[in-house]
Amino acid sequence: MILPQAVLNGVIEGCTYVQLALSFVLIYRTTRFFHLAHAAAYTVGAYLFYGLVGAWKVPLLLAVPLAIAGAGALGCAMELAVYRPLRNRRASSLVLLLASLGLYVVLQNLVSLFFGDNTRTLREGTVREGMLILGARITGSQVANVCAALSFVVGVWWLLRYTRLGRTVRAVSTDPELAVVRGIPVESAILLVFSVGSALAGASAILMAYDVDLTPTMGFQPFLMGVVAAIIGGIDSIPGALFGGLFLGLALNLATLFLPTQWQDTIAFGVLILFLLFRPQGFLGTSLRRVTV
Amino acid sequence: MNYLLHVVVLVGLYTCLAASLDLLVGQTGILSLAHAAFYGFGAYTSAILSVRLGVPFVYGVVAGMAVAALLSFVVSLPSLRVHDDYFVLATFAFQMISFNILNNWTALTRGPLGIAGIPVPVIFGWSIRSRFGFVALTALFAVFACVVVARITAGPFGRVLRAIREDEVFAQALGKNTLRFKVVAFAVSAALAASAGSLYAHYITYIDPKSFTVMESILVISMVIIGGAGSRWGPPIGAAVLVTLPEALRFIGLPDPVAANLRQIFYGTLLIIMMMFRPRGLAGRYAFKE
Repeated sequence: MILPQAVLNGVIEGCTYVQLALSFVLIYRTTRFFHLAHAAAYTVGAYLFYGLVGAWKVPLLLAVPLAIAGAGALGCAMELAVYRPLRNRRASSLVLLLASLGLYVVLQNLVSLFFGDNTRTLREGTVREGMLILGARITGSQVANVCAALSFVVGVWWLLRYTRLGRTVRAVSTDPELAVVRGIPVESAILLVFSVGSALAGASAILMAYDVDLTPTMGFQPFLMGVVAAIIGGIDSIPGALFGGLFLGLALNLATLFLPTQWQDTIAFGVLILFLLFRPQGFLGTSLRRVTV
Repeated sequence: MNYLLHVVVLVGLYTCLAASLDLLVGQTGILSLAHAAFYGFGAYTSAILSVRLGVPFVYGVVAGMAVAALLSFVVSLPSLRVHDDYFVLATFAFQMISFNILNNWTALTRGPLGIAGIPVPVIFGWSIRSRFGFVALTALFAVFACVVVARITAGPFGRVLRAIREDEVFAQALGKNTLRFKVVAFAVSAALAASAGSLYAHYITYIDPKSFTVMESILVISMVIIGGAGSRWGPPIGAAVLVTLPEALRFIGLPDPVAANLRQIFYGTLLIIMMMFRPRGLAGRYAFKE
């Protein structure tokens, strides 16, 4: 009874990490810097959804796309207002990382100015018992979470592989300078990955909005786990995000069989350190950035 | 008046932290997100020693520095081999694990309850109680950290660190064991951060893990960057600016929660603006390169 439940919980939790890892990888493989403010896209997506559904009573069918679009728009705004000007000044990835840190701090505090620091929740009524599958319980929203993770991975993979826009993005990821030489619109490709990546983070937040409480800092922890999952999977690999997320979710949940849950951070970041040391390219990553002389 | 002196003590504490971090960020060109962890190790070591065993302040400080330097090897020996972003991530992971341990190893650290009733420092039979005494003591610590960093960077050791910053492969080609230099610099930096931690613990007389989160690391990094990485006056200037300006916002008369948010927004915006228009900082000579 306990083991199947731990495995199932691991898969479900892993699916959230898959979504975040995927959205992060999409941005990272194109821009090559750690976009920390990505956590804010998650938070803002959740709060927008809360505002639309909880306060303004917008119907669900309208609120979901609106909140996702809002998160995507936030991603575009960050790129246009901060990252693009910085890139034009030839800022290094460290400078971009520090700027994204500033951006995250600003956005997190804007959220708490507008919505307050109090915990918000969309949960109502009693918790229903989930369905019984292979000796483990699963709820409707968890099924949706798993389906969303799989469809995101397939969707992003298809987008990059078989569409014209996707080819542009891949060209920019492979070699930005060569892409410029070939007349590929580099800036609009980057804008595209920011909007799609941030929208995915927003969608992931909405999927969790009924299961977790909303706080202005809610985005940081899942974002970190998403990054850890992305590195485990191979930071520039789309299928890697799937493996990394599921691996991390399973590792964390199987560990609860032996260790109290408050040690989850230690396990997750311990796994990260082990990967950084022994397999920095992750499961499926192709290349590790080499030292340039 | 007491409040003013409190601000001065804070500036001194953060000068100590920023100066020690600058040895890594400004001089060696490696970014560490684990500075708050070492700050915390210093605070916890001397707090636990003095509360449980009655060890005097001076020995507590030395013990804290030793613990931090030893633990710094845990991060630096394996992870300074990996590069750039990966090293930043490794220090970040170390920071998260450290906080997790301070928060959960309740038998040793009392976890989220924190450690209360830490005695005030007694130095050679003279106990420091007044704010003026603390200002003097903090100044001593800040000057000590700045002088240690200045002495290191002025000598041949510092020259190698700067060579690593400019071009590590080239420094290796000259036969320098760059890993060794980076590991030593990391340990010195960690030990100096720990000394600030001990002072903090005995000044506030109460510590809990929340003071040593990754946000604290980020604050110190912002000080180094905004003041100017790799310059003698950068860290003190950055510490002074980031401690006093947000404190000044207190007097505009906003309600407390709003003021706290605005302070954070202010310093986030400042960081972005600095990155855009003056990435080398107020007093700095060196801008981050690729």
